[in-house]
Amino acid sequence: MATINPEFGKELKKYGAFDYNACYNCGTCTAICSLSTETDSFPREMVRLSTIGNEDDIKASLKPWLCYYCGECSSNCPRQASPGELMMSLRRWLTSVYDWTGLSGLLYKSLPLSILAFLLTAAAVIGFSIRENFDLERIMHVGHYFEMIAIGSVFTVILLPNIIRMWWFVIGKPKIKVPAKSYFKALGELFVHMFTQKRALGCDNNQFRWFEHFILVIGYLTLLFTTVFLDWFSSSNLFIIILGYIESIIVFGVTIDFVSSRIKKSKEVSKHSQPSDWFFVIWLLLMGLTAFIVRLFIDLNILEQNSWMYLFHLIILAQWAVIIVPFGKWTHFLYRSFAMYMAKLKIQS
Amino acid sequence: MNTQYDVLVVGAGIAGEESALKLADMGFRVLLIEKEPSIGGKMILLSKVFPTLDCAACITTPKVSETARHPNITLLTLTEADSIIKENNGSFSVTLKKHPRYVIEKDCTGCQECETVCPSIVDDQFQFNLVARKAVYIPFNIANPRVALIDIENCMLCGSCEQKCPSNAIDFSQKEEIIQVKVNAVIVATGFNLFDPTLIPRYGFGKYKNVITSMQMERELAPTRPFNNILRPSDGKTPDKIAYIFCTGSRDQTCGNAICSQVCCMYSTKQAQLLMGALPMADITMYYINIRAFGKGFNEFYMQAKDMGAKYVKGKVASVSEKENGNLILRYEDIATGKVTESEHDLVVLSVGLLANPAITSVFKDETLEIDASKYIKQPELLQSPALTSIKGVFVAGTATAPMDIPDTIMSAGAAAAETSGYLKQLS
Repeated sequence: MATINPEFGKELKKYGAFDYNACYNCGTCTAICSLSTETDSFPREMVRLSTIGNEDDIKASLKPWLCYYCGECSSNCPRQASPGELMMSLRRWLTSVYDWTGLSGLLYKSLPLSILAFLLTAAAVIGFSIRENFDLERIMHVGHYFEMIAIGSVFTVILLPNIIRMWWFVIGKPKIKVPAKSYFKALGELFVHMFTQKRALGCDNNQFRWFEHFILVIGYLTLLFTTVFLDWFSSSNLFIIILGYIESIIVFGVTIDFVSSRIKKSKEVSKHSQPSDWFFVIWLLLMGLTAFIVRLFIDLNILEQNSWMYLFHLIILAQWAVIIVPFGKWTHFLYRSFAMYMAKLKIQS
Repeated sequence: MNTQYDVLVVGAGIAGEESALKLADMGFRVLLIEKEPSIGGKMILLSKVFPTLDCAACITTPKVSETARHPNITLLTLTEADSIIKENNGSFSVTLKKHPRYVIEKDCTGCQECETVCPSIVDDQFQFNLVARKAVYIPFNIANPRVALIDIENCMLCGSCEQKCPSNAIDFSQKEEIIQVKVNAVIVATGFNLFDPTLIPRYGFGKYKNVITSMQMERELAPTRPFNNILRPSDGKTPDKIAYIFCTGSRDQTCGNAICSQVCCMYSTKQAQLLMGALPMADITMYYINIRAFGKGFNEFYMQAKDMGAKYVKGKVASVSEKENGNLILRYEDIATGKVTESEHDLVVLSVGLLANPAITSVFKDETLEIDASKYIKQPELLQSPALTSIKGVFVAGTATAPMDIPDTIMSAGAAAAETSGYLKQLS
């Protein structure tokens, strides 16, 4: 039996949801959605569960992650109940439910707290630089190791436990029996969706939007690899240098388009931006752009005189790694892939 | 022509006719104007009425004839009010525009000889474009006055009709007439507009031939119907799997009409019953959001349709796509199961909603005829005196106030007539 939380609507509003109680259950949203299928019909089911405040069933549902927000449901909703924005808010809410630290929810709900977190991170980086007397070589050395350590620790301390929690809500708690070998058999699904976001291709048949996301993910992941493991900033290998340039251009080039469509509000998906959405695209843009400029300064031999540029890059990087990746929108990338994985597990159960 | 009347009634549909007749019977002199070439409004074009399944024409034509022949009613067709100005003494000074018919009304016998020779063929708006008519035409065969007119926009001025007419009634020299009258009261009975389903492109009306409106189906079912059978437009096949999409353009904020149109559930249910009579083998599926069967005998009527075999499916159709053979695929969420479902039909009828027709408000020059949030004429005293408007001496009847069915319209028109007679008695 499900427990009902009458206050759920108020809570969800803090994550950006609109007046979904206006819904009169006609099902237009579900039938207009190009990703909705007979086996996985949404978003009306999620609207219904949210209206009655059935938290347990929402936590156990993977449907919020199956939506790629083309916005067709919202623009055709006869009650203007914004089901697409509800799905987005449920993703934010689920992110905070999965997060064992509870920080994710705090940062989603409070803009001042988010800004404070960004300021504190920046202060820490600057404090560290002062202690090192702005010795560029030393800062760059630590900066390089910081990336490796941050990736490792964020994943093991925050993201891995969160994914286990996600598994618990979706498969463990509802007592869905999954044969052990399915966990290996479905792994392919996980990686395909993580690296290609194949599902988004079916979303409103908008192949350009999928392509932008696809090259952004590839650009981002390879840039990470190039800077951390190929040591782009210290490398003298021409191939690696050019590779890094291309990757960083992809990252900030695509995000410039995302930021501008959020400013213009030209598409349904970019009409309702929450602070977390802005942080995500802007920091991604700045990360690509500052990495590009730092390497450019190195190649022009002017980084020594302009060490502030590297410091700026490091601040952005630190904020990205300790705030946005573990607690912000970055996690959606991870949860989406795991949602496809767990959906496969549920089918095989 | 007389220039003094007690009442001007704008609109000669069922509401305008009823108000005019009631006042004329009480002895008031009534001027009734209608912008169409025939009176009778939308009701005269319907097949049958719910929930009694009486023939609409059989109920309305006696009223139409009585209106046209009543000694106290002066009827002007093809006439619109251009301006209505309130004078200091409380009466209204009215300017009317009478559009030329290009046919001398008193000479035309309605023999339709002119139609046989006219070379210009255009869509017949009174059959909702299911068939064609000539540029010179009698609007429909139970039109009143049963007099031809020339659609000058589509006329090629060949003069064939003029030569053919046995009573020399064709007169190309007619001009628009401006008529000035004084009246003591005005009844607005301007009715409603039908929703234009091309505003919802995902239903494919206008693109897929076998997607028709409920008004077109109404014509296919009417005694004066164009095909004398139920056919689908693309290939003339008799349909055997018909779908109704309820709430097309009603209760839908994306097309600017958030309110319920009150009649669509019941007229669709009526059409389903008539179709099951005409095509006993046909499957009829009704896709609805909620069934509103609130009036006297309505719920029983709805149950009767279900018992006869109409299938009611809860779920609003989101989109329609066409197959090569002209059949249509409907995609909807079956609310009973919560699953997205697709189904194939060979004819889709859109249960189009009713929209306000607020054009009359611009005619009132010195005082404002107020409208409500849905653009219907505002009734400031909705509960005490529903026929009153924001202007003293101007009354409102029928669907000019809100969507309503025929019995309610006639009651509303009767109330407007009673209210107007009381007002006129007070004046004198």
